[in-house]
Amino acid sequence: MYIYAALLLAFMLGPLLIVVPMSLTSGTSLTFPTPGYSWRWFRELADDPRWLSSFVNSVLIASSVTLLSSVLGIPAAMALAWTKFPGKRVIYAIIAAPLVVPVVIVGVAAFSFFSALGMVGNKLSIILTHTALAVPVMLTTVMASLSNFDRTLVRAAASLGAGPLLIFFRVVLPLIAPGVVSGAIIAFIISFDEVVVASFLSTGEERTLPRMIFSGVRESISPAIASAAVLLVLFSAILLILIGWLQSRTSKSRAS
Amino acid sequence: MLALPLILFVLVVFLWPVARFLALSVDNSDLSDNLTRTVASLDGWNPAQGLPGEDTFVALVDDLARARRAGRDGLVGQLINQRLVGTRFLVIKTAKDAAAGKFDQRPLREAVLAAYPGWSDVSLWRTIALQRSAYTDYYLLASLDLQRAPDGSIEKAPADKAVFLEILWRTVWISFVVTMICAVVALPLAQAIVSAPPVRSRILFALVLFPLWVSLLVRTVIWIIVLQKNGPINSALLAVGLTDHPLSLVYTRFSLYIAMVQVLLPMMVLSLVSVMRRIPASYMRAALSLGASWLTAWRRVQLPLVMPGLLSGAAIVFVFALGYYITPTLVGGPTDQMISSYIAFYTNKTLNWGMAAALSVQLLLILAASAILFWTAAALLRRSAATS
Repeated sequence: MYIYAALLLAFMLGPLLIVVPMSLTSGTSLTFPTPGYSWRWFRELADDPRWLSSFVNSVLIASSVTLLSSVLGIPAAMALAWTKFPGKRVIYAIIAAPLVVPVVIVGVAAFSFFSALGMVGNKLSIILTHTALAVPVMLTTVMASLSNFDRTLVRAAASLGAGPLLIFFRVVLPLIAPGVVSGAIIAFIISFDEVVVASFLSTGEERTLPRMIFSGVRESISPAIASAAVLLVLFSAILLILIGWLQSRTSKSRAS
Repeated sequence: MLALPLILFVLVVFLWPVARFLALSVDNSDLSDNLTRTVASLDGWNPAQGLPGEDTFVALVDDLARARRAGRDGLVGQLINQRLVGTRFLVIKTAKDAAAGKFDQRPLREAVLAAYPGWSDVSLWRTIALQRSAYTDYYLLASLDLQRAPDGSIEKAPADKAVFLEILWRTVWISFVVTMICAVVALPLAQAIVSAPPVRSRILFALVLFPLWVSLLVRTVIWIIVLQKNGPINSALLAVGLTDHPLSLVYTRFSLYIAMVQVLLPMMVLSLVSVMRRIPASYMRAALSLGASWLTAWRRVQLPLVMPGLLSGAAIVFVFALGYYITPTLVGGPTDQMISSYIAFYTNKTLNWGMAAALSVQLLLILAASAILFWTAAALLRRSAATS
């Protein structure tokens, strides 16, 4: 049984590990075993203005998506978790629709919509569409942390004369912060990794990092692409550790 | 109330664009609006009569001149060309001359035919005569390898256009195979995770789920790197002596299955483990102590209890696989492309919105049908579990 699990893990994780030495090649093409090791392809990434600007674009877009999905998602999560009203399931279905529709259809539909508005090749169009994809996840994460929230705290704060905004920022937000941060990180990753919508909506200057990799792979696979892939794997690992740490912190604070 | 901004946002930025795009699958207004007079003058004409008369040519020149002045001539040419290949430049050039007033001598019919003999093709007139309505079933029929016969009945499309049923079937088949492989491979793995001691179980589970955090694109790209001619797999095969020349592993159905299984397997494991964790280990122990062999006990006791998880995992994997675009596009060969790649192709390469939208409608219908199928299967399973 363990041998089987080990073999499968090698299949699942092996490729992610083996590109690390391959990306450190000193040669001009991707081969394994590598002729020698160097940082040249990582330096190439840092020196090439196209890779650099695509990284900056991705960070800018993903940050805006995180912000926008928090602003839209947190109030909606509170409304959906705390109040009962007719048609709630319909509202869930509307908000979750972006998770169900295949992403190519989302991309092509967004392309058709935003080109009619003259907004293709504009960061805003990508931010808006990515937010639609990220917001359902944000909503679920925040709602999960709200489900353990003791609502008498809100009533107590209100009885002491606090207004709704003060209650939200001083009482509610600090208590659900770990859920909000997890949701924000996931929203960031969804946008940062997204390639299909970006490939329809981003052109030239506005290319995102995944879009760069995608079009690069279709031409030829240089070690620079392997290096970019390794950086993205490391990035995911760091964020995963961050979320794990956040969750262990919440479970500890609940236990105490 | 607080949910209102989000609902409005999703409606405006997501649902409206998708609905608007899907509506393009039946939209014919670009043709019917720009060819109004021509189509009207063809009322009562039928192809058996041969070429239409002078008044139709007058209407055509008038329509095309207007389209040209409105900047719609290219679009009209493109849309007619989609229905009858090779007519695009005929339409665009005629429109240019019509707008420039080059057809001023009567009879117009002879002038147009002398300048552009292409208009003596009766099937072109038949195509134009069909553009009466602002709605068309042309794209939806084409996406099922069907077309309208001259008499209006539905018939099979000619072999060179009848490619779509094969693409739809291929999409379903690839998704089915991937789901089956995932199910067979994930069952023992999930069992290993659940039966391991707590710490080891948690580590195993985390390792299996880690790939979910790496972007789909990166995992796909990595498979191209690993499977390519100079990649590690080929190097290993050469070193061991299993082959004496590098194999073409990538851009094949094989590499597509490998990559898709690696990408989707964690979902299946996740679904299985969450169900298996709720099954008391004492059930298996009881079966074993009553003398059943391990395999019999697993098959008769554990498997039926795992079925709901297997079913929901299969539903997730299958539905995800149906819509896959990045992985087939990058790792598959030309004959391994799934429906999503064609939706992108008709949008990017030929700007054929109608076809892209019709294929999207088919994809959504397949998705809905499989969702209903899985949902029914799960309901039947619950009922049989409740009655037994």
